[in-house]
Formats: sequence, structure tokens, C-alpha cells
Amino acid sequence: MRNKLLDRLGPLFVVLAVTILRYLFPNKISFFTEIAIYTIYVMGNNMLYGYMGLVSFGQPFYLGVGGYATALFLAYVGHNPLIALLLGIVSGLLLGLVLGPSFIRLKSSYFALINAALCAIGVFIFERLLIDITRGNDGLWFRSNMTKLPILDIRLPQNFFIFVVIVLFLALFVYRHIDRSALGTMFRSMQNNEEKLRFIGFDTFKVKWVGFTLAACFSTFAGSLYAINFGFVNPSLGENSRAVEVIVATLLGGSGTVYGPFFGAFAFLGIKDIVSRWITRWELVVGILTIIVLFRFSKGIWGTLKEYLLRAQRRM
Amino acid sequence: MDLALWIPAVIFGFSISGIFFLVSLGLSIGFGLMRVVNLEQMLYYTISAYMTYTMVRLTGMFWLGLLCGVIIAAIVGFAVETQLLRRVYGRPMLFTMVVTFSFFLIGIGAVQYIWGLSPKPVSSPIKTMIDIFGMQIPLYRLLIIATAGVVYVLIQLLLQKTILGKAIRAGIESPENLEALGININRIFTITFIIASGCAGLGGALNAPLVMVGPYMGFDMLLYAFITVILGGLGSIKGTLVSALIIGQVISLGGTLWSPLAFVAPFVVMFIVILIKPTGLYGVKGVV
Repeated sequence: MRNKLLDRLGPLFVVLAVTILRYLFPNKISFFTEIAIYTIYVMGNNMLYGYMGLVSFGQPFYLGVGGYATALFLAYVGHNPLIALLLGIVSGLLLGLVLGPSFIRLKSSYFALINAALCAIGVFIFERLLIDITRGNDGLWFRSNMTKLPILDIRLPQNFFIFVVIVLFLALFVYRHIDRSALGTMFRSMQNNEEKLRFIGFDTFKVKWVGFTLAACFSTFAGSLYAINFGFVNPSLGENSRAVEVIVATLLGGSGTVYGPFFGAFAFLGIKDIVSRWITRWELVVGILTIIVLFRFSKGIWGTLKEYLLRAQRRM
Repeated sequence: MDLALWIPAVIFGFSISGIFFLVSLGLSIGFGLMRVVNLEQMLYYTISAYMTYTMVRLTGMFWLGLLCGVIIAAIVGFAVETQLLRRVYGRPMLFTMVVTFSFFLIGIGAVQYIWGLSPKPVSSPIKTMIDIFGMQIPLYRLLIIATAGVVYVLIQLLLQKTILGKAIRAGIESPENLEALGININRIFTITFIIASGCAGLGGALNAPLVMVGPYMGFDMLLYAFITVILGGLGSIKGTLVSALIIGQVISLGGTLWSPLAFVAPFVVMFIVILIKPTGLYGVKGVV
């Protein structure tokens, strides 16, 4: 009974941790806002990598699509940030539904590489093809177009932090629900043995499609939040060379777990923050970190922590 | 149609194909034989280009630099295969991809540490222009095409005529049966890998005068190598050649038509081919 309650309250703990940390380090507010957004981004990748066993080298593309959906709406059409965020999710939904059927037919290596290609095409579209409306590399600024929301004025950084934390709570809640549901079990079993799942009588194509679409939604939503956080977007949001960062963060936190993305985002952005004070280009550190995690530490932070907690509980 | 514009474009396209073929060979063979998508191939390409730059700076001899680059690339490839890749054979595809990609990142970091961030120019060793149909074509471009052709012929001879080549081909078909015949498959892997990384190194050294030698040159090339290999089908050398020829022309002719096409057209071509035929043009069925 008690354990069940603790399990239910998991998302709340995470959100509380972020909030407490934010008030302990008041001048690092943008850092903690970014952690909350990045967690949602990593959740999208974790859905693909950790649950379904698909690696994608093109996640920034989805981030870029979400960001541009939000930015274009706010810059040209409307003024309400909430509708803009909703559009971010809708863009992910559409992407997933349209691209899904052709993408999920591909086996793991082709899936990874076609996403990388998609990402390159995406940067081209944002930077060159639609230059008249996206303003290319100059970026699209829209902060002044946002209206004040009734209760929380999210144009201010401290209020936006509160907003993002609430959103993170909801996202984690949904994510936990998916993980515990039959759908989550199907994702996991697909990674183990897809044929067997089909044999039992599930339509693996549909399961994959749903998973891909959900992952796209999480990623584009993170992109929208990024756009509103910065107040502008430029094509570097969807840049190809950043594709591996989110994979590293997923691995670091523990792939295939509910709270892994949070720990991964926290650890990854923390390391990035510390390292980039000394080294401006920090590929070396990212690479070494990944190899260590992959070979010696394959469960990630949350996976290891969970094991330890379970063992401690059993002893009690 | 303006011939003065299109004939050089076709020849430039072929020279791009030559480079792509040399660089993607390792990716393709590595997949076919070892079931590893070894993304760190581009590291050998980068290192070799940098070695060429260093030797040109020190001695002024380009061809010595090229030789050094190929040898260093082969040595690094040997070290990586025996120390790192041997630990990942047989693991899931996504695991090996992430491992090799992070190793590639480490290599880029090391290159930045040794040679710095700023791009380095390498001057072309042959400045002669050749007259073809009244058009001035740089001899160096033709040389690249010839080199790639020779490498393709040599590799086909190696695979078709020698015992080693037969073992490699058998390994692509079924590694278990090869081991059951009493052939040391690890040694086959190592030799193949050294050849592949040497080819990537050759591509890098030959490409050094055509592009700026910079730490991120491997990143740009990685995308094109991806496309080449995927379009041709992972694991097929003939497929790699054919798709390199297609991609080279698409880049060169597309770029002549409308310059942004040079960047995006290859991706679009690959996209379409993959969606129609998921294994690529000559892909090995069922193993991906």
C-alpha cells in the first residue's frame, strides 16, 4: 500500500526536487528551466530508444518543427502562447501520423540514418527554403507578440519556470501512465521479441506507429517550450550535430525508465554547464562519457539508483 | 543547353563520387561483414586529411603526405578494431552505433586539441588544366576519378580472386559457417578493417586540397557517406559504387541548376529510394 502511494507520487517528487533546487540556487533559474524542458525532450527520445529499441540520429528535427510551429504562430497569426504550445503538440502528432507508416517499416540502422537525413532536410527548409517567413539564420523573434495570460504571466522568466514545472509534472504523469499501461509493456516486449508479440496477436505496426507518434509529440512539445523560453527560434535548434546529445542524456539517466530522462537531463546539462567553462567545444567529454556509461554503467543513474533502493527496501 | 557549364559539372560530379566511394567503403563493408555500423570511419578520413596538411607544411610534398595519411589511418583503424570494436561485435545495432559515434566525437575532440579549431588550407599538388571538348578541366579531378576506379578494381580482384577475398565474402554471407571451417574470423575482420580505414584515409587525403581541412569535415562527410551507403544498400560494394556515382552527379548537376540543391538534393534522393525500397538499391536482404 505504502509502496504504491510512493510510486504514484513519483512525478511530484521530481517536480519538488527541481523547485527546491531552483530556490536554493536563485541565480541559476534559466538552467533549471532548461532542465525541465530538456527532460521532456529526452522523454521523447527515451520512448524510441529505451522502450522500442529504435535509435534516431535526427531528434533535433522534431525539436525544430515544434519550435517553428510555435514561433510562426506567435509571429504571424495569434498572440496566445497556450495555443502556440498546443500547436507544437499538434505538429508532432501530424508528423508522427504522416511519417510514421513509412519510417517504422525500416529496421533499426536505416531508421537512425533516415532520421539524420530528415534532420538535414529540416535545417535546409528552416534556413533556406522558407527564408521569407523564418528569416533564416537571423532567427524569428516573437517575444513582444505574446499576450499576458490571466493567472501567470509567462513572459517573465520566474513565472515561466513555474509554468514549465507544472507542464513537466503533467508530462511525467502521462509518461508514468504510459509506462504502467499495456502499451508500455508492448513497447518493451517489442524490443525483446517483436515476432513473439505479433504471434500473441498484437498488431506491432500499430503499436510502433503509436509509439513513434507519441515520441514525436514529446519532442515537438519540448521544441515549443524552448521557443517560448528563448523568445525566438533559429535553425540551430534543429541542427544535426546536436543529435547525439539527447542520446547521451537518455543513456546517462537510464534508458527505458520513467524518471531516467529527468536524471539524464540533469546530469547531462550539469556536466555541460561545468565543462563548458573550461572547454568551449566539448565533444571529447561527451564521447568519453558515453563510452564509460555504455560499458561500465549501462543502467544509467536512475537504473542504478532504483536497484539500490529496491535492495534497501527488501532488507527493511 | 550550355556545354561549357555542364561538361565540367559532370566531371566534378565524378570526382565527388570518387571521394564518396572511397570514404563510404568502410561503412559498407563494416556493416556487411561485422554487422557494425562503424561511424568512426570518418575519423580516419579527418586524421588522414590533417596528416596530409602537416606533411605539406613540413616537407612540401603532397604525395608523401598522402602516403602518411593512409598509413596513419590504417594504423588508427587497426588500433580501434582490436581494442574497441572487438568488444561490441554481436551487440545490438543501436549499441554499436552509439559506441562508434561517441568514439568519433572523442576523435574530433583529440583532433581539435592537436591541430586547433581553425580550418587549414592545402594547396593542390597538380595545377595543370586539361583540355576536354574545349573545356578546361583540372587534372587533379581526373586523377581522383582514376584512383577511385583503380581502388574499386583492386578490391573486386581481392574479393573475387584471392582466398582472403573468398573468406571475406563467405563471412558476409554467414560468419558462423566461416568459423566452423576453422578460419580465424577475427583476423579476417582486422584485415578488412585495415583496408577499409586505409581507403577512408585515401579519400581524406585526396579531398584535402578540395575542401578546407577542419575538425568538422568528418561530420559533413558522415552525412554524405550515410546517404551513399544507404542508397546503395548496406553491405554491397557494387551498390556503394553505383550510389556514389548517382550522388556525385546529383550534387554537381543539382548545384549547377540551383545552388542550394547541392546540399539537399542527395537527401531527397535517398529519402525517396528508401521509402520505395527499404533495403537500398543492392542491399543484403534480411540482415539489417
